[in-house]
Amino acid sequence: MDPQADSSISFLPHLEAKIRQTHNLARLLTKYAEQLLEEYVQQQGDPFGMPGFSPPRLSLAGLSGPSPSHAGLPLSERLRLDAAALGALPALLDAVRRHQAELNPRSPRLQRSLEEAARQARALGAAVETVLAALGSAARGPGPEHSATTALSTANSAASIFSAKVLGLQVCGLYGEWVNRTEGDLSQLVHGGVA
Amino acid sequence: MPAGRPGPAAQSARRPPRPLSSLWSPLLLCVLGVPRGGSGTHTAVISPQDPTLLIGSSLQATCSIHGDTPGATAEGLYWTLNGRRLPSELSHLLNTSTLALALANLNGSRQQSGDNLVCHARDGSILAGSCLYVGLPPEKPFNISCWSRNMKDLTCRWTPGAHGDTFLHTNYSLKYKLRWYGQDNTCEDYHTVGPHSCHIPKDLALFTPYEIWVEATNRLGSARSDVLTLDVLDVVTTDPPPDVHVSRVGGLEDQLSVRWVSPPALKDFLFQAKYQIRYRVEDSVDWKVVDDVSNQTSCRLAGLKPGTVYFVQVRCNPFGIYGSKKAGIWSEWSHPTAASTPRSERPGPGGGVCEPRGGEPSSGPVRRELKQFLGWLKKHAYCSNLSFRLYDQWRAWMQKSHKTRNQHRTRGSCPRADGARREVLPDKL
Repeated sequence: MDPQADSSISFLPHLEAKIRQTHNLARLLTKYAEQLLEEYVQQQGDPFGMPGFSPPRLSLAGLSGPSPSHAGLPLSERLRLDAAALGALPALLDAVRRHQAELNPRSPRLQRSLEEAARQARALGAAVETVLAALGSAARGPGPEHSATTALSTANSAASIFSAKVLGLQVCGLYGEWVNRTEGDLSQLVHGGVA
Repeated sequence: MPAGRPGPAAQSARRPPRPLSSLWSPLLLCVLGVPRGGSGTHTAVISPQDPTLLIGSSLQATCSIHGDTPGATAEGLYWTLNGRRLPSELSHLLNTSTLALALANLNGSRQQSGDNLVCHARDGSILAGSCLYVGLPPEKPFNISCWSRNMKDLTCRWTPGAHGDTFLHTNYSLKYKLRWYGQDNTCEDYHTVGPHSCHIPKDLALFTPYEIWVEATNRLGSARSDVLTLDVLDVVTTDPPPDVHVSRVGGLEDQLSVRWVSPPALKDFLFQAKYQIRYRVEDSVDWKVVDDVSNQTSCRLAGLKPGTVYFVQVRCNPFGIYGSKKAGIWSEWSHPTAASTPRSERPGPGGGVCEPRGGEPSSGPVRRELKQFLGWLKKHAYCSNLSFRLYDQWRAWMQKSHKTRNQHRTRGSCPRADGARREVLPDKL
């Protein structure tokens, strides 16, 4: 019996278990992301949270929502994009948390939720990268978070409190979108099996 | 373009808010791009940005559009405040690209993050926003009270001024310093025993007064409380007495014995402890308090109902510590301890008092004499098994019998200590 074949055969159940575990995590975090968004809009006051509220989308260098063409990409590429987005989100969530500490100091629960969301994004991103590595598809190099921290430029205008509220809404929304997208991509891997 | 003008009183009271850019890390500053308007072709700016205003004052604001498309105009723009569209008569066109708004007699902000004033395009899309902070400057905090747990720390509580926290977030800072020397210190551990409290955990001096005060600050100004002067030794409290035990007194159906230990944290210090006991029937919420328990660690509750479960708690006041003349501060009550009185045919009395190892209140002096007699008997009559326990057993027997007591005296013999059938009675009874 070929020992290499043996080890790869014995490796598969572990990988499948890891994929399932990561998928379950993504599914759980999808619920938490919805709760975070609800909590966030409640603290900002109307019109945040009102039906049809659609503020201008601010540009976050290196991070946007999943593109419409995302679903058409190969699975490994989709998971790479998922991991990259999840890697960029913690810093943004931390920044939103710091700002909310000033804006809504009597809402420690929101601050805790933002802190937990950053940890969750980090954990899910790391788990997806582990799956990618096990599948032989390494994640890309330094992600958007790293490029953002090295770029130093001043904003065109001083940020206002309203635009800060909008930005926080966008970040919480992106967190939910990417966690949801990751869950969808992983479910394909769970049901399709490891090729 | 004209800026919004707050009421005259606000101008001197108002503190300029911190620039928001200082709250953002370089990470976020460098990722913010130019907002893309919902209409896709033009954006706008509201002035003033994030103003702070007094309740009842007026605001004049403008929404100025920057058009990429030639002919971009302010016509058709409208305002909302906290999601509600403002009446059109409150706004007017200043020029082709600027819509002005006049709000009078402003109410206090609905949320601590500021009221959301938004400028909309004709199609409802959001062009710009500004957050209004409308409130009142803080009032003087008052009613500061402090206590020290076992002389190791100091916790203070205060009452905020009437409107201080209602509309604008108000920051409270507890300050303290030694009265005769030293610098101002700021307490750091807040909300320990409620929203307006702070805990100083260590490095406190004794035998010298502190000055303590509270500073309240919000976007519209600050206020300072009166100064409280105290010596830590005058505000000492301690832990509840540990190891509270409640037990029956033989077969006596109207009594319970309560014992406890003095708080160990202060056992090495000179003080005269006072204790209080409270007790209640199991299914009642009314506590009865026994006040006159001074400096002893046991007590007997009498006059209780037979066959009834009682909850008992004890607390301690370490007054007079190191010679302090102040009244001292009661500890928290100990955890409730329960016990039941023995059941009896006869209904017992409703109330009760605490007796230091006594029976009915009227027999206090009798009981003391009995104690002395029993002590003498033990020495001279070789009856080492005589005890109060036997006396209480006799009382229980007497209560059960319902008859004129026939008293049997036995001379020259001593009863067994356990379950004796023949009992020795003190002569003087």
